[in-house]
Amino acid sequence: MIVALLLLIPFITALALMFLRPTQQAKNVALISTLASLGVVLFAWSAYTGGTVIHYNMDWVPAWGLRFVMGYDGVGLLMLILTAVVFPFIIAAGYGEKLQHPSLVNALLLFTQTFLFGVFLAQNTLLFYIFYELSLIPVFFFLLYWGGEHRRAITVKFFIYTLLGGLSLLFGIIYCLGQGAGFNGDFATIGALNFPLSTQIWLFWVLFLAFAIKLPIFPFHSWQPDTYAMAPLQGTMVLGAVMLKMGLYGIIKIVLPIVPQGVIHWQETVIVLALIGAIYGGIIAFRQSDLKRLIAFSSLSHVGLLCAGLFAWNSYGVSGSLYQAFAHALLVVCMLYISGAMKERVGSSEMGAMGGLKLRTPRLAALFLLVLVNAVALPLTQSFVGEWLMFAGLWQVNGWLAFAAVSTIVLGAIYMLFAYQRVMLGPDKWALEMTDATTRDHLVLVPLIAVTLFLGVYPGPILDLVDVPVQQLLSSLSLN
Amino acid sequence: MRTDLLAILVPVLPLVGAIILASLRRKLSANVAGGLATALIASSFVASVVLFMGFDASTGGRTVHMLDWINVGGMNIPLALRIDALSLTMMLIVTGIGSLIHLYSIGYMHEDERAPTFFAQLNLFSFAMLMLVMGSNFLITFIGWEGVGLCSYLLIGFWYKTPEYNYAARKAFVMNRIGDVGMVLGMVLLFQRFGTLEYVSIMDMATGGMNDPLMIAATLFLFIGATGKSAQLPLFTWLPDAMAGPTPVSALIHAATMVTAGIFLIVRSSVLFELAPFTKDIILWVGTATALIAASVGLFQNDIKKVLAYSTVSQLGYMFVALGMGAYSAAMFHVTTHAFFKALLFLGAGSVIHALGGEQDIRKMGGLKGRVSLTLTPPSIRMDGPVKITYITFFIGTIAISGLPLMSSFFSKDLIMAYGFQHSPVLFGLLLFGALLTTFYMFRLLFLVFYGTYRGKAHPHESPLTMTIPLMVLAVLSVVGGLLNLPHLFGGHEPMKHFLETAADAIRYEHLGLSATTEWILMGITTVLVFATIAMAYGRFAKRATLEGAEADMPFFKRLIAQRWRLDEFYAALFERPYGWISTHLFTTVERHVMVPVMNGVGAAALAMGGVVRKLQTGNTSFHLLAMLCGMIVFLLITLMSN
Repeated sequence: MIVALLLLIPFITALALMFLRPTQQAKNVALISTLASLGVVLFAWSAYTGGTVIHYNMDWVPAWGLRFVMGYDGVGLLMLILTAVVFPFIIAAGYGEKLQHPSLVNALLLFTQTFLFGVFLAQNTLLFYIFYELSLIPVFFFLLYWGGEHRRAITVKFFIYTLLGGLSLLFGIIYCLGQGAGFNGDFATIGALNFPLSTQIWLFWVLFLAFAIKLPIFPFHSWQPDTYAMAPLQGTMVLGAVMLKMGLYGIIKIVLPIVPQGVIHWQETVIVLALIGAIYGGIIAFRQSDLKRLIAFSSLSHVGLLCAGLFAWNSYGVSGSLYQAFAHALLVVCMLYISGAMKERVGSSEMGAMGGLKLRTPRLAALFLLVLVNAVALPLTQSFVGEWLMFAGLWQVNGWLAFAAVSTIVLGAIYMLFAYQRVMLGPDKWALEMTDATTRDHLVLVPLIAVTLFLGVYPGPILDLVDVPVQQLLSSLSLN
Repeated sequence: MRTDLLAILVPVLPLVGAIILASLRRKLSANVAGGLATALIASSFVASVVLFMGFDASTGGRTVHMLDWINVGGMNIPLALRIDALSLTMMLIVTGIGSLIHLYSIGYMHEDERAPTFFAQLNLFSFAMLMLVMGSNFLITFIGWEGVGLCSYLLIGFWYKTPEYNYAARKAFVMNRIGDVGMVLGMVLLFQRFGTLEYVSIMDMATGGMNDPLMIAATLFLFIGATGKSAQLPLFTWLPDAMAGPTPVSALIHAATMVTAGIFLIVRSSVLFELAPFTKDIILWVGTATALIAASVGLFQNDIKKVLAYSTVSQLGYMFVALGMGAYSAAMFHVTTHAFFKALLFLGAGSVIHALGGEQDIRKMGGLKGRVSLTLTPPSIRMDGPVKITYITFFIGTIAISGLPLMSSFFSKDLIMAYGFQHSPVLFGLLLFGALLTTFYMFRLLFLVFYGTYRGKAHPHESPLTMTIPLMVLAVLSVVGGLLNLPHLFGGHEPMKHFLETAADAIRYEHLGLSATTEWILMGITTVLVFATIAMAYGRFAKRATLEGAEADMPFFKRLIAQRWRLDEFYAALFERPYGWISTHLFTTVERHVMVPVMNGVGAAALAMGGVVRKLQTGNTSFHLLAMLCGMIVFLLITLMSN
């Protein structure tokens, strides 16, 4: 029932929006739909008692032996919660955007949500792949028709790049299926493939490439800054908050079980690349003049750390990475919302056109500051818990890697405080008339900040969710 | 239990104040906000006093568990408080001095339209500082550690319309964060080694060989953290710039409490440092170098607050020297007396600035004491200066920091210097030299501000009672503070040392092995030289109507010192500007001209391949893909419906 609801609520709402085109009510309808999905996920969470919950397990295309298996474990549930929590806010962010054809925009967003739910519910490799690629379609159209300058070129670039990764993944999956994984590549059984090390060494990259691009990891990132900067605000939110988490999830669900020795073989290489990206993104972010592009590079930096933590492959690293995935989703939505709110008032997200805005918008400045506190991962915010666990995990791998990872806390402070100063502080040099934070701004930012702080003080609910699955994952890894 | 509840209330009360004031900042008047903030921190002080009174030192202390915080995969870090001699000492300083400075701020900030915000941030700072000193494990201390850093950032940049202030605030935060890298790595390493971050457990478990490489690394990392927060070489240059904040902030955060966090941290983990003599030696010499360099810069500063800022850096250096010699209780003693007299001096400076309508340049002050005449019948002192209370208290602060006999610093600084003599006479010589520099620049300051003739244009007036009462209380404390740890030489029993050793085992092994005669001689030498220095300063500055010329006219070495050893310029050239250059060029060169073209090449290759395939398929790739996926959706729906 939960699975059906999660797939059908956004899907049917999206279809209705697409065909009925209720221009005036589109945003409200979409908002209600996402809130309903959130309710369903929270219900699933409250009813969850551990283990893998399978809701559907049936024949799909019997002639080919395709099966339709859907459910979730703790990690999947975390991703479902993440998706369900951020989408209402992404829809709400649309109230400030004056995009053409709001029905279509919201329909595309809800299609995306459907497929994202599908990715996190799928219990076999093939279904995962199908939803994984499906989720790209609505985003593609959203970027192509509602993006900013150079949208065509950038969107095509983004599409080809991710599609290439996807094809590589598809090839890898087909290879595995041919090697006896069964036609579905059930998550429960793909761990038993036991490829020889020589195979695992190349197969790792075939499978990992898609996720490395999706996250993205240095040096596969170069589609990301342009795309984030060009995409409509809500598009960037979807990409940054949720879609990249598919990469993280895919690594855990597909790469690790199939090629565990390949993962160990390439572990340090991936961590080094990820940390290069974390430092690279953090340094570049400092001198960016466009707030949205700054957020893109900051996200690159954060994601590098996420991936490094994950590849530590110990309980602190993986739990921390998953915890941080949630924190990062909320952070990205908050940051982008603020950049949108500033753009609404100033007319551009260039920080050169801002400065001294705290005088005009003191409440917005206070909200920005609270988001900033989370962005630089001060303790008692959600990000700190995740970062601390990842640092502890990375130290177990190698002290120097931990040192590189920890140094990003300095880079984060440098670019975030500089950005805050350029937007909010200093003399009121432009003397623009503008409204302070509106009710809508408060309705979006205050709950997100509240969740951020609550989970910073009391991370138990989320950590408990991932603790057991992560332990199981790691013990199965050592069995191999 | 009741004491547990009381302990929790101590940090929670100012936190509640911060939340209330921040939410109602637009509705409250400055006085109401100030009153509320002061009442809450004063309540914390009362609670601390009650805890202190009811505390039985022989038990060692108790841990108050509030909440499981980070609890995953074998890591269990609770939100818990530790009540013992060390945390109680710090709690009394933080809430006690904090209350006085909150009260002072009511008068100092009453005309500022953002006063409620100011008090919210001051209360938030108190909360963070209390978490720092009360935490039962490293990570709780780190909550406070970063919290005070945030508040420091906010309060340095409180007057946010001035770009230089914002820069100073950022500089403070970033330099602290550089130290925090060390702190985080130290904590990670300790967790790796001990499987816990609880102070009590780690100190119990930490035994074994001296100079174990792991212990050296852990203690060095913690010390790096301490150099950031406590403004030691090479990370001290943020503190003088931090004077951009309102003066009460300088007194509370950048003199009395936050900057002593590094000393507190090392005393808290003294057992670890005792196992790493190598680290202690480094601390000793970093402290000495900082003490001397900062004191030398203090000689030439013309901003009243900058003089005090360099003085703070220098005094913190003395505390680190004590730590480096393993004299932990001596360091804590000096933390305490320094909190009294440096808060007094800063608040006094604030009162002067207030009296002169914002003037901070001592070249435009002078003569503020007015004429002082003694009459014998009846015996009384008559003064006609405009700022009598400010003058008297500032005078007391000056003689206290200079260590005139029986003043608080006379006991605390001399104790460090006596340990220094025990360590090596050379060290004693250096510390004595630093002490004389301190005396010289402090009396230079006193004479230039209060003596001679007035060189400014404002109409000085005394500050209101809310400001002068804290001055008077702190003046009394600066005089009698030495009693807290009165040495045997003066008939005392070093009560503070014996109190603190119940919380930090390493203090039990502190021993000053000098004979009474040696101590008297050292004290005598110091005192004679201090008086000689005062006389020298009097001769040069007390009657001055004008001051020496610009820096450009100074000889090279003097100019170098006056320009703060050019450390700021050095850091800017070595780190700041290259970092900006790298940031720009990584983007414009590497990202734009390497990463993107390479990726485009991959894309072009893919398109070319697509072109080949297209001839076979005569179709549009993305259309095919879309069609395929739509088909799958239909399958999916059918399956779902049929269930």
